[in-house]
Amino acid sequence: MDASQSLRFILTITLLACSSQRPAHANSWWSLAMNPIQRPEMYIIGAQPLCSQLTGLSQGQRKLCQLYQDHMVYIGEGAKTGIKECQYQFRQRRWNCSTVDNTSVFGRVMQIGSRETAFTYAISAAGVVNAISRACREGELSTCGCSRAARPRDLPRDWLWGGCGDNVNYGYRFAREFVDAREREKNYPRGSTEHARTLMNLQNNEAGRMAVYNLANVACKCHGVSGSCSLKTCWLQLADFRRVGEFLKEKYDSAAAMRIGRRGKLELVNNRFNPPTAEDLAYIDPSPDYCLRNESTGSLGTQGRLCNKTSEGMDGCELMCCGRGYDQFKTYKHERCHCKFHWCCYVKCKRCTSLVDQFVCK
Amino acid sequence: MAGAIIENMSTKKLVIVGVILLLFQAFSFMVGGLIAPSPTTAIHYMATKCVDNVKSHYMSKKWFMPWGPNHCDKVRDFDEATAKKIEANNIVFAVHIPMPNKEMSPWFQFMLVILQFDIAFKMYNQIEDGAVVTVDVGLAYRDDSLGEWTEMAHSIEQRKLSCNFTTPKTIDNEGRYYECDLMPLMELGCVFHKYYLLNIRLPVSDHKKVNRGIGEIKDIRLVGIHQNGGFTKVWFAMKTFLTPSILIIMIWYWRRITMMSRPPVLLEKVIFALGISMTFINIPVEWFSVGFEWTWMLLFGDIRQGIFYAMLLSFWIIFCGEHLMDQMERNRFSVYWKQVGPIVFGSFCLFIFDMCERGVQLTNPFYSIWASDVGTELAMAFIIVAGICACLYFLFLCFMVFQVFRNISGKRTSLPAMTKARRLHYEGLIFRFKFLMLVTLACAAMTVIFFIISQVNEGHWHWGDYTVQVNSAFFTGIYGMWNLYVFALMFLYAPSHKRYGDEQSSGDQVGNSGEDIQLTTTITHVDGPTEVYKMMRKEAQE
Repeated sequence: MDASQSLRFILTITLLACSSQRPAHANSWWSLAMNPIQRPEMYIIGAQPLCSQLTGLSQGQRKLCQLYQDHMVYIGEGAKTGIKECQYQFRQRRWNCSTVDNTSVFGRVMQIGSRETAFTYAISAAGVVNAISRACREGELSTCGCSRAARPRDLPRDWLWGGCGDNVNYGYRFAREFVDAREREKNYPRGSTEHARTLMNLQNNEAGRMAVYNLANVACKCHGVSGSCSLKTCWLQLADFRRVGEFLKEKYDSAAAMRIGRRGKLELVNNRFNPPTAEDLAYIDPSPDYCLRNESTGSLGTQGRLCNKTSEGMDGCELMCCGRGYDQFKTYKHERCHCKFHWCCYVKCKRCTSLVDQFVCK
Repeated sequence: MAGAIIENMSTKKLVIVGVILLLFQAFSFMVGGLIAPSPTTAIHYMATKCVDNVKSHYMSKKWFMPWGPNHCDKVRDFDEATAKKIEANNIVFAVHIPMPNKEMSPWFQFMLVILQFDIAFKMYNQIEDGAVVTVDVGLAYRDDSLGEWTEMAHSIEQRKLSCNFTTPKTIDNEGRYYECDLMPLMELGCVFHKYYLLNIRLPVSDHKKVNRGIGEIKDIRLVGIHQNGGFTKVWFAMKTFLTPSILIIMIWYWRRITMMSRPPVLLEKVIFALGISMTFINIPVEWFSVGFEWTWMLLFGDIRQGIFYAMLLSFWIIFCGEHLMDQMERNRFSVYWKQVGPIVFGSFCLFIFDMCERGVQLTNPFYSIWASDVGTELAMAFIIVAGICACLYFLFLCFMVFQVFRNISGKRTSLPAMTKARRLHYEGLIFRFKFLMLVTLACAAMTVIFFIISQVNEGHWHWGDYTVQVNSAFFTGIYGMWNLYVFALMFLYAPSHKRYGDEQSSGDQVGNSGEDIQLTTTITHVDGPTEVYKMMRKEAQE
């Protein structure tokens, strides 16, 4: 870290220390992933309690919750898959996307507009698109399915006329309404740091949603006369969420450093690079030091993390432990083995135990 | 002597006819592009994982509903099933077609269901080479949302799994999905009921080696494809309009021929047969599919199309042959057996193939000829033979067209030396041939271009506020085009009773009759105009 960077870092810290008094940032809709949401069947009519029970929703999100109660379970699920994927992608990093508590979920690290924050926003937005589109396909949502576009007016049965089923589109639109609601309802003065952060969040949410949308590939089926291709039907197919995670991880590596411009828009810190598109991630603050535990930044530190002695990458003990060294100890690892696998579910296996070496950061 | 109407028509009138036809053509494209929705819709379904608690699951005749008041015991994923010690044989994948609060309708015409597995890569449970999935699948229907399910079909089917894993097979990539090809599951020729329910099991048996080595299945996805009701309505309307149009011109054409003093020649008969096959396609029997459960409608449609294509191809060959101008007596169908043979044989192969696929699907909607190795080979054999026949046919056709053009250029040089009637006769022949050649090439090019466009793009084009459904435009436009082609053919190539150059008409009939007999081509015989003819011709032109 060179001098100018560290100076800016300190500045950021002081700025954050000033702004950290605001409690509004503490809660997030991510908390839906942590607390089990009761299915809407439980509340039959006047299901007010569900939405007021849920903590972490902003005002606009609460309104959406009241309108689309059955969606909330899937938003929670989407957030959960997002967080899981984040943890998978960052399992070998100093910051490993670990959740801290049930209300703020990731703790105070998210108050810094860093690369990691950008990734977290993107992947959770992507998780929501994925989960809503999926729920749509499972027929779990009452409002999902029929696109109202491209059909003559006054036709009562749009199902008959055009069919329904563009669920990726629905998932994308709903996720945009819900996830961005939080940012859109804030009214910070143009050009302020909070405004910059709002713009950053919107950019990253959109990048996450677009990732799902863009990675969905088109599948087609021919079904004409004698199976010829005179009639062909195509549809969008969602990619495996692991691929979305990888795609966003690449975007994380190439994320653009931004700052708020004079006209109240984000602009590049370094003009030599191309400006980010809607699919790119953007961040406004440098990342905090994730090596040591720091209450004010919310960094958990890498003490106690498992590391790989032989690796020279980020998961290697040298980098992971930030040069503090590591402890070595032996543990028993229990595994199911000699199974006769089936395509799913319960199979009879043996239990094998082996002794393995493990390394833990000091 | 008389030729076809097209030779005797003034250029002005011909242009007027052409413009009217073009207007109709543009209209038929617009009907599809602007009014109709896209021809088909694909709808995704994610199978719900139900738990069948009955031990011997083959005994239970219960239907599992994915949602609604009597929905089954569900598991969200198979980790939950493992935790509850549920085995693979007790899992039933349930899919309700359509989505909640929707109903299917006979206007959807057909329904195709495609099966897709989400299979996760696991180091110790990989997909084996040549893995085959055995699915035990049942289909039931009901017509009111609370009634009992009635079984429609039940079958144990095998499908080959062709999946590949693009990333290295390491422990790090565990949990990623394989990329698997789509598998056809079911095809219904008629969507007569409102609600359908599919229950799919993947029975496992270690000693019978059933469903072994198929990897770790995470989900089953189905894609249901059906025709859009709106498109069906537009299509039916178009057929209902076209049937009488072609029928009337056909009757007019045949009356004109029978009123001549000579028997009809081969080409006239072939044009008439083309009209009949077009009418056969046009007749909107599909209206009945709205009221009756006629599952054979798809097969019937295929047969009708096949007959028309065979007829059209035969017509081109015979038309070329009759315009060869090589002084050989043809005018018999048997002369053309060499060229028509491949058409008949190729169509027959495709018919057998279609019967093997769609014919069997009448009794078992889950049947697919591609599922078994023998079936695949058989199907490929039929298709390859049909392909060879098509190549053979086009070689013959190209050769014949080449011959005609060679003869034309040969005749061109000797034209000025001929007597007037003979010259006019040949000029008429050349004009007729070139005109049809041009129109046919234009139609074929349009078909090919639109086919490529519809293959390349998916869905629709936005044009300002309008959305143009390219695929629908393709269907209505091309269908309209071939109808207009047949219509124009019957109208323009009907025998004319106008004589060449009315002013000298009185003399040439007798003077040139000796020459005429030598000109053994299409419309050789002399027939004098009658008052009836004149009136009819006027009527037709007005």
